[in-house]
Amino acid sequence: MTAPIIDVKSLDKFYQSYQALYNITLSVEVGEFIALVGPSGCGKTSLLKILAGFEDFNSGTLKLEGKDMREVPPSERPTRMVFQKLALFPHKTVFDNIAFPLKIAKRPKIEIDKKVRQMLELMHLKEEYLNRYPAQLSGGEQQRVALARSLVSSPSILLLDEPLSALDVKLKKSLQAELKRLHRIVGTSFVHVTHDLEEAMMLADRICVMKDGHILQIGAPNDIYYRPEHPFVAGFIGETNLLPTKLTYDENGANFATPGINCNAPIVPAPQLATSLDSNQALLMIRPELISINANTTKDCQMKGEVTEFFVKGATIQYRLRVLGLENEITVDTPSTAEVPISVGQAVRLDFDLNDIFILGA
Amino acid sequence: MSYYRFETRLANFILYGSVIITLVFFYIPIATLVAFSFTESRFLTFPIEGFSLKWYGALFAEKNFLPALWGSLKLAFIVTILSTILGCAAAVAWMRFKFRFQRTFQALTFAPLLFPQLMLGVVMLLWFSILGNFFGFSMSLWSAVLGHVVYITPFALIIIAVQIHGFDDTLEDAARDSGCSNWEVLREITIPILWPGIFSAGIFAFLLSWGNFYLTYSLSGTSRTLPTFVFSGIANGSSPIFPALATLTFIPAMLLVGLADFFRRRAADRLKSGPTDI
Amino acid sequence: MRIKNITWTDPKLQILTLPLLVVLFLFFLIPFAMTVMLSFQITKYYQVVWSWDLTTWKDVFTHSYYWVIMARTLKMAMICVVLCVSLSLPVAYALVNRIPSMENHVKILIVFAFLADAILKTFGWVLFFDRSGVLNGFLEMLGFGPAASDILFTPTAAIIGMVYNLLPYTIFTIYLSMARIDRDLIAAAYDSGASKFRTFWEITLPLSKPGLLAGAVLVFVLGLGAFLEPKIMGGGTAPLAAELIRQTFETRVNWPLGASLTILVIGIGALTLIFFGYLLIKLTKLQENTT
Repeated sequence: MTAPIIDVKSLDKFYQSYQALYNITLSVEVGEFIALVGPSGCGKTSLLKILAGFEDFNSGTLKLEGKDMREVPPSERPTRMVFQKLALFPHKTVFDNIAFPLKIAKRPKIEIDKKVRQMLELMHLKEEYLNRYPAQLSGGEQQRVALARSLVSSPSILLLDEPLSALDVKLKKSLQAELKRLHRIVGTSFVHVTHDLEEAMMLADRICVMKDGHILQIGAPNDIYYRPEHPFVAGFIGETNLLPTKLTYDENGANFATPGINCNAPIVPAPQLATSLDSNQALLMIRPELISINANTTKDCQMKGEVTEFFVKGATIQYRLRVLGLENEITVDTPSTAEVPISVGQAVRLDFDLNDIFILGA
Repeated sequence: MSYYRFETRLANFILYGSVIITLVFFYIPIATLVAFSFTESRFLTFPIEGFSLKWYGALFAEKNFLPALWGSLKLAFIVTILSTILGCAAAVAWMRFKFRFQRTFQALTFAPLLFPQLMLGVVMLLWFSILGNFFGFSMSLWSAVLGHVVYITPFALIIIAVQIHGFDDTLEDAARDSGCSNWEVLREITIPILWPGIFSAGIFAFLLSWGNFYLTYSLSGTSRTLPTFVFSGIANGSSPIFPALATLTFIPAMLLVGLADFFRRRAADRLKSGPTDI
Repeated sequence: MRIKNITWTDPKLQILTLPLLVVLFLFFLIPFAMTVMLSFQITKYYQVVWSWDLTTWKDVFTHSYYWVIMARTLKMAMICVVLCVSLSLPVAYALVNRIPSMENHVKILIVFAFLADAILKTFGWVLFFDRSGVLNGFLEMLGFGPAASDILFTPTAAIIGMVYNLLPYTIFTIYLSMARIDRDLIAAAYDSGASKFRTFWEITLPLSKPGLLAGAVLVFVLGLGAFLEPKIMGGGTAPLAAELIRQTFETRVNWPLGASLTILVIGIGALTLIFFGYLLIKLTKLQENTT
């Protein structure tokens, strides 16, 4: 197993008296695509800037490619950054923009020319753009020039600071696909900062969810989605059901008890228990798409409820239900049909499997 | 890595050093004057002999001084009011409207700034002399007022125009939407927000007029103003009276500039938006 | 902010612009036109004779005396431009990038120094540079011997005085230009491996060109009309155009000649202005197109 290319240990960051990062520990493998996700103010951008060298940190260690980066300026790190506002040099042509890092590194002209053209091809940019200025290109084209400039010197780490957040939906979707393709081709390690968890799930090998300067969870997209260790993480993407539940332990393992839910054997499968549980008061999480309404076969657990509202969302129909014994409403997503099969006020039976639940700390 | 360190140190040295040198440079004559105003002796030699305030007294005793001071003050007040009003109006015309020949208007109102002051004074002097011969009047405070207004209004204009540039006119829309009449919108929204610019422009205009030499010298004729007082005085031989005078003129200027800065900062704080993202 | 179209028939526009236009017309344009007219007259026995011809202009262009002075004036103005721009660059950069907290205070200090009366400040310089003045006093204390510096009444002193009065203009314009540069651009340059000086050369300096140009033009045009500094600090040994003009009016009482010389100086200034102003507009258009 090779050493991680980014190795952060117990890193703290203060801005004057305000602590922006608490005890951050993170390691990124060579060639990995990792996303830093969280709401505004969670510290993800600070962390990115620290990796790039634009901000210093107060305690802990940061190693890139195995070397300690304390006191190393951005120009000497193996990182390249794509800025949120792109930061393309307005007074230089597209060619000069992309060639800039190579020119600084004093590469011979022939090599610069070759590599710039390679980048053009990689980014699907037209050759006649070379002599144009950034202002003359469209938003998507400018994005690709910015990416080209960052990748032209084949850095081992690419840092992306919410590069897609200002774009409209269509452009965003196409560039998201571009990023994923780039990552597969180029093989550079990507660190991508975004506030959009859906984007992170689409692109990243692993996701690091942050809030208020802390890392809440690091894991593969599936883990984050189906096994969130923290209620915030659970609620950060899509909709989910979080029901208070009480745990008791016996020779079978962990038993859960939630009013309104009837199970044959309410034993939590071991992988569905959060590792950070510290009390018997817990939350039971189940994703809306994993609950069936009036299914033909019964599953491990059942609830009885009444539909209070439904929303047609295109590919799915979402129902809100009131379940006897439960204070919260239940949300269920079912695949869409031409006609809404269930109406408001109807009583239904809800089923779900034990393997689809997750118990996390409150 | 050590090159980076070296470079940072060198850059800081150059940058901070140049600021310090520039500030020192700017204040050498001012500090010299202030220091000399307290000398005991009649002669302006260094090192300063003794410490005395007698030259301030001698200054006020000079029979031409108070009339000249009063003349300059009158001049400055009138010019300030006129320049600020005209500059404000012109700034609005510059920034909020579009009209035919706007470029010409802008060029014309901006042009006096670019005239070397002496040239402006000469040109206006010629004109006033001819007018004077024709209509039978001579140069007085009013010719100086006009000269100052022509020269200083562009400055006031620019300061206010900058303030207008960042003006968010949706605030006016909101006010009108809440039922305000045009006059009320002006009074309650527009002017309060533009006030820092207008106030700074006024202070700037006052100081420019107060400290102006070339134009006043050319255009005030026989009326008494500080520049003529100083120029004729120095021509007759230097004496510590003039450093004392200088110090006296610096004090109100310094106070006014400090005041303007205080107001500007207070207004800027009020307009600051919410927390910034990390 | 919305810009509203308006026509000259609208009383709003009239109120805003006419008073100033009237003042400028009567006391700026007309005097200027009159000066132009005067330059086409001649003088006899200290009286202006209205004879529309080019005698005075011929005088101006044929006497080498005037050319020498104009050349000297132009040279001094150019030296001022170079000095002002070079000295302003680090100061403006420092104001933008190094002292955000003190920035306003420094600006205030500079503005204040700028606004104090010109003649008094020049007098202050005289006291400083005088044989028995402050500078020599300090040098003497340091052991340099009495009357060590003799700068006063030389062209060098005149230049120091001119730069002193013109420096705020370039500091201001270059500062404005630099402040508008997106910080991310500089960060991107560092990120691409550029050193600080390289970044300054490749990014900051080119993007400050508008401010540099504007400041240079301002200093040049204003330097053309310099009067006090060469006279008082330079001792009048090498008279410049403004001094010449003053003499022509006051001592020689030759108004047409004075008028034509004035027009000449203003003309050179105006041409410079128009030419570089045009260049400036083109430059800013190119750089205004940022995302």
